[in-house]
Amino acid sequence: MKKTSSILLEKLVPWCLPVVLILGWQAGASLGWISSRVLPAPLDVGSAFVRLSASGELLDHLKISCGRAFAGFAVGALVGLLLGFWTGTSRLMEQLLDTSVQMVRNVPHLALTPLVILWFGIGEEAKLFLIALGVMFPVYLNTFHGIRSVDRQLIEMGRAYGLSRWQLFREVILPGALPSILVGVRFALGVMWLTLIVAETIAASSGIGYMAMNAREFFQTDVVVLAILLYAILGKLADVAAKGLERRWLRWNPNFQRAGA
Amino acid sequence: MQSNETEYGIVSRVDRDTHGVAIAARGLRKSYGPQAVLRGLDLDIAAGEFVAIVGRSGCGKSTLLRHVAGLEQADSGTLQVGGEARRQLHANTRVMFQEARLLPWKSVLDNVGLGLPGDWRPVAQAALAQVGLAERASDWPAILSGGQRQRVALARALVHSPRLLLLDEPLGALDALTRIEMQGLIEGLWREQGFTALLVTHDVAEAVALADRVVLIENGAITLDLRIPLPRPRARGEGDRAALAAFEGQVLQRVLARDGEASA
Ligand SMILES: Nc1ncnc2c1ncn2[C@@H]1O[C@H](COP(=O)(O)OP(=O)(O)OP(=O)(O)O)[C@@H](O)[C@H]1O
Ligand SMILES: [Mg+2]
Repeated sequence: MKKTSSILLEKLVPWCLPVVLILGWQAGASLGWISSRVLPAPLDVGSAFVRLSASGELLDHLKISCGRAFAGFAVGALVGLLLGFWTGTSRLMEQLLDTSVQMVRNVPHLALTPLVILWFGIGEEAKLFLIALGVMFPVYLNTFHGIRSVDRQLIEMGRAYGLSRWQLFREVILPGALPSILVGVRFALGVMWLTLIVAETIAASSGIGYMAMNAREFFQTDVVVLAILLYAILGKLADVAAKGLERRWLRWNPNFQRAGA
Repeated sequence: MQSNETEYGIVSRVDRDTHGVAIAARGLRKSYGPQAVLRGLDLDIAAGEFVAIVGRSGCGKSTLLRHVAGLEQADSGTLQVGGEARRQLHANTRVMFQEARLLPWKSVLDNVGLGLPGDWRPVAQAALAQVGLAERASDWPAILSGGQRQRVALARALVHSPRLLLLDEPLGALDALTRIEMQGLIEGLWREQGFTALLVTHDVAEAVALADRVVLIENGAITLDLRIPLPRPRARGEGDRAALAAFEGQVLQRVLARDGEASA
């Protein structure tokens, strides 16, 4: 009896502070301590959610934002992955490419925003380009390092057991580099949302960021806060998905076994 | 396969049922930078023979083995395996390393079946059964003990029915009891399958217990080539043990004598 109640308590404890904060926030707003211009009451945010969902507006914006995020991610991650495989498995390509990539990656990709808008205008291409660029570097770096840190002894064993180059890559190098690649992917997902937020806030006529900027003009703080929460939830979901992949693909790794059990 | 006479006229022990290959090395030289590791090494191994290589750490045992495996090229000299010059890796040769080198992301069975074509599962399963690990087929290598991992590695090597098995201190990291068990297993499978075996070990007792011949490498060449004409299986009974100990003493004395000379 005592044991189950203490387990329950343990699960509840982390939620105490958020719940108290939200209750306090709601109370402060209801009592008029916090102006709704500054921060809307949680219930108002909730009703904004219901209103926008019912009109279908929210879903449209959400779809557009997610579409951008994942299209940009797909392009950037693919380029980063292929470049990483290439430089990771060929000394020549490493010498040819790696230094340049390392130099370019020191430029914060968001600093390119004005230039990108000049190139592409404020259409979808600009946003895709920025997201893809931001995603590419962490994926590239971690793929390259992952491949380079694969146990040489395992590669020698693979060769000694007659694996072809392709088999060696598929059976030994890729799985050996996968933990590192997935670290890159998780990092890149963070970059993806961040870039999306910046891009949609600066120049967009649809999407969650546009919804927030639009609401700002009409002092709809409830919608602005709702947009912020949506970004947070989307970010969390992407991270959970990436963790799921880790657990699935790295089952063999004792570090991930407890989580997988 | 029937006639195992090498080009150099050395007649091998003609076992009718051996499917092993003969090895002939002549004047093998290999340097890494300024350091000469092999200095004109000659070695003949008959088809189906079990030869153990001993020598002090860093004397070039692994280097020789890697040459025979085709993982490394000599600077000069010739190396023939099964009558062909060995210039690269060959499918008739399998290596077992000091570390098991199992792929941690593959199950035990998938590790054994690595690189096998076609319908390999029953074959791999049979090989696992031979080393007594049939029921661990679906486990991850990470949860096996060191000895079990080496047994999986042995199964992985033997599943290809190699004609030459190279073993580089495969039991070095195991405890004494597991080691004796593994020695029995290796000897049994060697007797059964008739491959040529070349074992590098730092344990002279192990060399004497397993091998038909024990060779000692010193200064990049072979300085002792001792035949162990004891019947098999070497059950380590009272009589055997005395004979084995005598041979072991002989090898050790030789190694230590050189040590004395060197320090004198
Ligand atoms: N790839 C290499 N590059 C440079 N030097 C090497 C290389 N491989 C081996 N050596 C050197 O050659 C010498 C012999 O090495 P080897 O691994 O053959 O020794 P060993 O007899 O197997 O020793 P141990 O019993 O400790 O395993 C060592 O001095 C080692 O440093
Ligand atoms: Mg060695």
